[in-house]
Amino acid sequence: MWNQVQQALNESTSRVIKQVANLLPGIAALIVALLISGFLAWIIALGLRRSLRKIHFDERLSTWGLQSLAEWSPANTPTILVTRAVSWVIMLVGCLIGISAFDATLTSQFVERLFSYLPNVFAALILLFLGNIAARFLSRSVLIGGVNMNLQYSRLLSVGVKWMVLVLTWAMVLDHLAIGGRIVYLAFAILFGGIVFALCLAVGLGSKDLISRSLEREASRSTEEVENPFRHL
Amino acid sequence: MAKLSTIPEQTRQQLEQIGTVDLVIGLVDEKASANIVAIAGIIRQGLERLSKSTRTVIMHRNSDSAAAALSQGELEDDSLRLLSYSLPAPDPSLTVMQSTFNAYRTVGEISQDLSSRACVVLASSPASLTPEWIYGLAQPILERDYDLVTPCYLPHKFEGLLNNAILCPLIRALYGKQIQNPLGPDLGFSARLSQDILHPDPARVRGASTYQPLLIGTEAIVRGHRVCQAHLGMRIYPPIDWKNLDSILAAVLDPLFLGVERDAPFWQHIRSSEGVATYGAPFPFAEESVTVDVRRLLELFKLGVRNLQDIWGLVLPPAALLELRKVDRLSPEQFRIPDELWVRIVYDFALAYRLRTIGRDHLLRALTPLYLGWVASYAVEVEPINGAAVQRRLERLDAAYETGKPYLVSRWRWPDRFNP
Repeated sequence: MWNQVQQALNESTSRVIKQVANLLPGIAALIVALLISGFLAWIIALGLRRSLRKIHFDERLSTWGLQSLAEWSPANTPTILVTRAVSWVIMLVGCLIGISAFDATLTSQFVERLFSYLPNVFAALILLFLGNIAARFLSRSVLIGGVNMNLQYSRLLSVGVKWMVLVLTWAMVLDHLAIGGRIVYLAFAILFGGIVFALCLAVGLGSKDLISRSLEREASRSTEEVENPFRHL
Repeated sequence: MAKLSTIPEQTRQQLEQIGTVDLVIGLVDEKASANIVAIAGIIRQGLERLSKSTRTVIMHRNSDSAAAALSQGELEDDSLRLLSYSLPAPDPSLTVMQSTFNAYRTVGEISQDLSSRACVVLASSPASLTPEWIYGLAQPILERDYDLVTPCYLPHKFEGLLNNAILCPLIRALYGKQIQNPLGPDLGFSARLSQDILHPDPARVRGASTYQPLLIGTEAIVRGHRVCQAHLGMRIYPPIDWKNLDSILAAVLDPLFLGVERDAPFWQHIRSSEGVATYGAPFPFAEESVTVDVRRLLELFKLGVRNLQDIWGLVLPPAALLELRKVDRLSPEQFRIPDELWVRIVYDFALAYRLRTIGRDHLLRALTPLYLGWVASYAVEVEPINGAAVQRRLERLDAAYETGKPYLVSRWRWPDRFNP
C-alpha cells in the first residue's frame, strides 16, 4: 500500500511540475512583453511630450475652451496627462499580449470583447469633447447676449445653459458606454425634467414680479432711448 | 468672388438702348421710386453745375415697368435716363454692410456695362438729397480725375458716434488718410475703382466668403487710388434699433478688422496721417443744446464689467482691466474713459480678431459694453460744449489713435511677447 501512495504522490507531483513547466514560457513571455511595452511606452511618451510642448498644447487647449481638463488634475498639465494616458495604453496592450501567451482561447475572448468596446470609448470621448465645446460656446453666447440686452441675471442664465448642455452630454456619454443602464437614463430624465420644471415655476410664480418689473423697465427705456439723440451710424 | 447679380433681359435691352453714359447714379433707398421724378429734378440741378453736360442714368428700385416708362416720359430729357432695376433687396440674412456693399457692386456692374466714367451711390434717405450732393460726389470724379469721393455730412456731436469712436480715427491712424466718413455710405467712385471692387485681388480676399464686404475707402487707399472728400450737408439718419446694437457693431467692425488683418503689410509702415482734398463749403458743428441721459449706457457698461471680465481677460492685458474697474467706480458726473485706454482697447480687440482668441462674433459683441461706456464718457464730456470745442475733442481722440499706433504694431508683430 505504501508503494501505491508513493506512486500516487510521484504522479501528482510530476503533473504539477509539468503544469508549472508549461506555464513558465507564458510567464517569461509576459515579462518580456511587459518589458518591451514599458520601454516602448517610455520612448513614445518622451517624443510625444516634446512634440506637445513644441506646439504649446497646454495654451492651445485653453483657447479651445478646455481649461477644465487641467482643473481635473491641477498638479499635472494636459501634456503630462495625455502622455501618461498614451503610456498606459501601450502598457495595457503589452500586458494583453503577454496574457494571451497563457491561454489563447481565454484571452482572445477577452481581447475581442475589449477591442469591440473600444469604438464606443472613442465615440464617447468625441461626444465629450464636442459637448464641452458646445457648452462653452452656448454659455458664452448667452452671457454676451444677455449682457448686451441688459439682463441682470445673464451670468445665471449662462451657467444654467452650460450645465444643462454638460448634463445632456454626460448622459449621452454614459449611455454610449453602456454604464449604469436604466439608472442613468432615469436619473437624467428626473434631473433634466426637474431643472426645466423648476425654471417654469421660477418664471411663472417666483420671478413673476421680477420679470414684470424688468419688462416694465425695458418698455420705459424704449421711450427714453427714442428721446436720446445718439446716432451710431 | 462670384458675380452677385444677373441682369434681367428687360434691363439688358434698356441698357442696349441707352448705349454709353458718363455717370450712373444708384438710389438704394426703396422709397426713392415713389418720388423719382422730383429726385431726378434735384439730380438735374446738381448736374447742371458741371462744366460739361453729362449723359446720366439713374438706377432705382421699381419693378413696375409701366410706372417707370411714365416717369421717363415726364422727364423729357434724353441726357437723364431712368433705369428701373431691382437693386438687391435688403436680405434679412445679410448685414447692413453686406447689403450696402451689394448695392455698390450692382451699380458698378451696370456702370461697366454702360462704360460710364463715374458712379454715385446714394444710400441715405431721399429726403436728405440736394443738388450739392450730386455735384459734390460727381464733380471730383468727372472733372478732377479722383477715384473716390467720400462724404462730409453736417456734423452733430451725438451723430455718427461709431464713426467718431472707431472707424474714422482707426483708418486715419493705420492707413494714413484723414477721411471723415470712410464708409460713406453715400459715395462717388470712378470706373477704375469700380473695376477693383468687382474684381478684387484674389490674394487679398483669400478665405473671405462671397458676401464679405470690402471697405471701399481702405481698398482705394491701399491700391493707391486718389481719394477726396466733399461737403454734402445734413444727412437724415435712419432710426436705430437699440435692441440690436451689438449686431450692428459686429456687422460694421467685422469687415474693418478683417481689412486691418489683410492690410497689415501696408499700414505697418505708415508713420503719420495726411489730410485729403476736400471740396464744397464746410459746415461747422451744429450749435445745439441737448440733454442726454447716460444712465442706461452706464448700466450696460457696469453690467459688462461685472459679467464679462473672463472674456475681456482673454483679450485685454491686466492693466487695461484694472483701469476699467477703476473707471467703473466713478460717479456718473465724473465718468471718463481716457482716450489712451480706449485706443488700446480697440487695438487689443483688433489683434484678438486676428489671433482668433475667441470666436470673432463673440469678440465683436463683447466690445458693445465698452463702446457704450465710451459713448457715455464722450456724452458727459461734450454735453456742455459746442462747435469748435467738440471738433477739438474729436481731434484729440484722433491724435491718441496715432500716438498709440506703435503699441498695436509691437503687439501685432510679437503677440506672444505681450500676451495678457
